[in-house]
Amino acid sequence: MEETNETLCVGIDLGTSRSSISASTGERHVVDSYVGWPVDMVARKLVKKSVLVGREALDNRPMLDLRRPLERGIMKDGSEKDQEAVQEILRHLISVAGIKQKGKNKSKVRAVVGVPAEAFRVSRQNLRNTIEGVADSVMLVSEPFAVAYGLEALLHALVIDIGAGTADFCVMQGRYPTEEDQKTLPNAGDSIDEQLVKLIRERHPDAQFSIHMLREWKEKWSFVGEPKNHVMVTVPIKGKATEIDITQEMRAACESILPPVCETMVTLLTRVEPEFQDKVRDNIILAGGTSLISGLSEAVTKALSDLGGGRATVVKDPVFAGSDGSLAIARDASTADWEKLSL
Amino acid sequence: MDSIGETKARLLRGAVQDNIATVRGVRIVHPKPQARRRSGVWIFSALSAIALVYLTVPAQFVPSRASVQSTTPVSAAAINVDLTPEATVPLSHPRPIDRSAIPLSIKTIVIDPGHGGEPGATAESGLTEKEITLDVALRLRRLLGESPFEVLLTRETDRRLSLDQRVAFANEHKADLFLSIHVNSMEPHTIRALETYYVGPTDDPVTLKLASRENKESDYSLADYKKILEKIYVDARRDESRVFARTIQSRLFQSLKIPNPDLENRGVRTAPFVVLIGTQMPAILVEIACLSNENEVQLLTKPDYRENIALSLAQGIRQYAHRFTVADRKG
Repeated sequence: MEETNETLCVGIDLGTSRSSISASTGERHVVDSYVGWPVDMVARKLVKKSVLVGREALDNRPMLDLRRPLERGIMKDGSEKDQEAVQEILRHLISVAGIKQKGKNKSKVRAVVGVPAEAFRVSRQNLRNTIEGVADSVMLVSEPFAVAYGLEALLHALVIDIGAGTADFCVMQGRYPTEEDQKTLPNAGDSIDEQLVKLIRERHPDAQFSIHMLREWKEKWSFVGEPKNHVMVTVPIKGKATEIDITQEMRAACESILPPVCETMVTLLTRVEPEFQDKVRDNIILAGGTSLISGLSEAVTKALSDLGGGRATVVKDPVFAGSDGSLAIARDASTADWEKLSL
Repeated sequence: MDSIGETKARLLRGAVQDNIATVRGVRIVHPKPQARRRSGVWIFSALSAIALVYLTVPAQFVPSRASVQSTTPVSAAAINVDLTPEATVPLSHPRPIDRSAIPLSIKTIVIDPGHGGEPGATAESGLTEKEITLDVALRLRRLLGESPFEVLLTRETDRRLSLDQRVAFANEHKADLFLSIHVNSMEPHTIRALETYYVGPTDDPVTLKLASRENKESDYSLADYKKILEKIYVDARRDESRVFARTIQSRLFQSLKIPNPDLENRGVRTAPFVVLIGTQMPAILVEIACLSNENEVQLLTKPDYRENIALSLAQGIRQYAHRFTVADRKG
């Protein structure tokens, strides 16, 4: 597309846990999808800001009204505060990408934003409304479709984008995916967290830990299959710092997403024309933060062996695969297309 | 084979069109019949016609209060929950109600989000009936979560279910109550109406048209239809369905007229919907809004409004179920 000095394209992967941006300026950033407002004047004085986004918000959470405004990859219901929080995340992303949002030389922003494959249409409309004022034109695409577009995996491929809130599936058959080609599951990073909390509490009822600690453990040591090392973490038990072994709990929690993911993969494979199923089975692409679980691609490949073989691979850069793909779409869309989608 | 560039151009066109569809204004689109079902369409149409004729016969041949009342104009605003066509159309095979046939406590409730796979009615903005019904059903299940009921949904995702599958689901799970959620589409587009149905005859051409549309996804055979139609009026559940329908309609209207002051209360009505005919428990179908009305579409896009609908349905269910608890204690 024709890009003037004032017009910039961005691809955004608005995630439940983390959001990333890839801009036509070459900037790429990822932020934790948290927004916090100081709870009172004292907190305001201490944090020296009216609103905090990302890691900064998490680090200062005791002083903040902290929001994680996305749920299962879409905006939470009913709260204007959550809508405001999504706007803050988007503004923050655009700001860290170095795009000027105010003043005479304000850039014109064309944004492609990834949403879950089966995003409820109302939520898509809400999201469009929320983006108003942050970008000038917006196109919403399904997250796995954006990944496929960015990788040019346009034919005989199945993308599984596993984030925190959802696992999104999309079969690419050289055409714009229909509802039949896509699927969204709620079994993703957050459901692993829930399982992990439950399992650790069962075995160590007195252990004290927060969801944020647990997410950090998961990011460092998540795995499926046989353990290579013990997963040891330190938690307070009755006030005393105590090291506990959570290897089996971590494995069980991570493996809990395998059956639904594999089952959905098979369902979508069976919808492909029989003569092309082999090709698609050999081209299963895993993306999203949760695809970084150690051993995941091997486990999916193993599941494919029951179907006559196949291969699952994790994309090189799972965290940015969605935003890079969205940026590619934004760049390729014509000015005429963008005019139709202006806010 | 296309080059990558050609494929990308085609995909982009699709993405742009999909987005334009999301932002566009009011155009009602009715679902197209699926190709694999096309061969059976004429058979189904014939079956629907038989069912509808069968159910309209009593209303046509028996003088009714409705026909007398029809000479007296009643304004739409004056219609309330007690003005039900059921009360005015005598049954073809009246029988005393056997109260013992009704379970004395509500344990299992089946919620049926209308449509799925196919969109049902669609507003010009692209908002579809299947999305709204599923959203409200999921909220309703959550709201009933802390009650003693087991709440089951006929579908939890966007998947197609035939009407007989929905009926079979409720019957197989031995549900004590069945509530089917739908969103209407009416002409003229200024109408914003709330109405609740239970099984029975009708002589209203608009209702017949609605029943015909909502019955499209039925997989019943002619033999099934005959069997079902023969028994619908001798079933004690019919009276209970009427009470359940009144409770729900009343709750919904009281609650929704506040955020939606122009909402018209069309009351409780009878109609030959397949999901109401085949189910073996008190069963109702509620049309919670009109997707043909732009103002109602705007309201439906607000989560608060959908939550309000679900909350009213939950309150209505609890109120209806409470009757049995009280009766049980007294008895």
